[in-house]
Amino acid sequence: MLSIHKKTIPAVMALYLIIFAGACGYREKPPLDNIIYRLKWLFNISSAGDIWADVHGHFLKQGLTVTVKPGGPERDAIKELELGHAHFGVASADQVIRAVSKGAPIVVLAQLFQSNPLQWIYRPDKTQIESPKDLKGKIIGVTFGGNDETIMRALLAKHDIDETEVGLFSVRYDYTPFYQGDVDLWPIYRNAQAVIIGNRLRNAGEQIAFFNPHEAGITFVANSVVTTQKILSEHPETVKKFMDALLAAWRETMDPANKEKVVETVHQFDWDTPKEIIREQLEITRDLTVPFGDFARGGEFFGKIDPIAWKETEKIMLDQKLIPQPVNIENYLTPVY
Amino acid sequence: MLHRRIYQFLIVYATGICILFLIKFALNLSDYVIPSPKEVWITAGQVFIRYLVNVMDTLAVAVIGHILSIFMATLVGIIGRLTSGVGSLIKIAAFNIQAYPIVAVAPIIFILLGDGLASRLLIASMICYFPLLLSVLGVLTEPVSDIEHFYRMTGRLTWQLEVKIRVFENITKLTTVVSGSATLAMVGTIVAEFIAADAGIGYTIRIALYQSDLAKILVALFLIGIWTSLYLVCLEWIGHLIQKKWQR
Repeated sequence: MLSIHKKTIPAVMALYLIIFAGACGYREKPPLDNIIYRLKWLFNISSAGDIWADVHGHFLKQGLTVTVKPGGPERDAIKELELGHAHFGVASADQVIRAVSKGAPIVVLAQLFQSNPLQWIYRPDKTQIESPKDLKGKIIGVTFGGNDETIMRALLAKHDIDETEVGLFSVRYDYTPFYQGDVDLWPIYRNAQAVIIGNRLRNAGEQIAFFNPHEAGITFVANSVVTTQKILSEHPETVKKFMDALLAAWRETMDPANKEKVVETVHQFDWDTPKEIIREQLEITRDLTVPFGDFARGGEFFGKIDPIAWKETEKIMLDQKLIPQPVNIENYLTPVY
Repeated sequence: MLHRRIYQFLIVYATGICILFLIKFALNLSDYVIPSPKEVWITAGQVFIRYLVNVMDTLAVAVIGHILSIFMATLVGIIGRLTSGVGSLIKIAAFNIQAYPIVAVAPIIFILLGDGLASRLLIASMICYFPLLLSVLGVLTEPVSDIEHFYRMTGRLTWQLEVKIRVFENITKLTTVVSGSATLAMVGTIVAEFIAADAGIGYTIRIALYQSDLAKILVALFLIGIWTSLYLVCLEWIGHLIQKKWQR
């Protein structure tokens, strides 16, 4: 046993030293030569402006070399920012607030969605919902641990509905329980899957409707562009150029005049989704991202950060004990537009 | 045997967690990326009992799935040894099916069987069944010529005796394979829970991932490791008893 220890302990110590030395030298690489922009999800309509900025040379016009990388279920842009794998990223408000509460040195630069695209799909001929009170007795799909669970619990609390009065059903990516009618309401991104699933159900002769928590008084911010405090303080010019390029691209993307070109561009990256679906998704995305839902009035304010909505999101998370104490999120909102 | 297994696991776990903390402090990372030791400790206090129940749930499914796989592999192995043609066909089928990634097949299983116990059991069995089957087939189709020749010449070689001889001669190999496949059963169950079930430690890890809570995941990994080690010790002990009995 002793001889094993004699060999093992120096080996483990050497391993620690190698990792420590590697970790110390890890962030020595020159930053911002090649900017990495990590999205929240796979390429789809929710990243139309990001794709457009890349394809149509908006970053290059600002003298920046930017690689736009898709996200995914196991990707977390904030963690990548801290680890130095990315310089800018897209994260949801709950991710941002959670990260800030744990000391992550990040700032919010712009708010991509003015209204959260998360809604619940239901069949109006089988499930009547005129007001939130009608949720009583319904089976509602939620992703336990996801922001839809947070939103639904906030909504139930706001409208004095006890959680025992509804059935919360654990959902994943498979829609079968909703198709089979085992679940009355299913969480869905209004501008993305909702169009695909909605069309499929309509083609099968079913009626569909959407329950929007925002209309029921719940404001919960969705995707925003984030970076680290260090990058913002050390490279303010680069951050400004990046955001100018990105927001200009998003404005062009949401301009109804560019509709067909946008559909073509998004389809190059999201080739599994037919163009007619992308066309429909684009219309809904415009309503959710452009301030006032109207390009003529709100187009130039694209990316506007809504501090009141952020405060409300923080309050919801605090009420549900998802963060231990207030983080004063308004101190981390640094609009660059 | 028990303390050695636990001791080995604790060394591996402690090494892994120390490396994480080392990276955290060397890079000055926030608790969002890698939790602090204090946070892991507090989280452990908060979730330990709940996670322990979840791990027991997962382990129960893994053990049942493992037992089913052992029976199935033995049965198919015995049938497969009858003729070289059948054996070869089963081997090829096992190789092919094994090549499919379970994460791609799992959603189909969940659509057909729902997200309850049956799906978890099936996926756990599938993951540990094929490696087991290949080993059992390998053992049962390999003649022990010296001994079998004697019984064959005297006309006393039945298929039951043939199987017994081959198992006896390879008992150490078989018990090792059975113990090794226990880990696969545990992995299979956790994968199933992670993808679509609504119970077990895999499901709990999924929720913790949604919440970006690495502290909870570290606690879950600790419990999974301890209980998998305990299960392996049990299997090794059973294997040891069987070997002793047969050698007598």
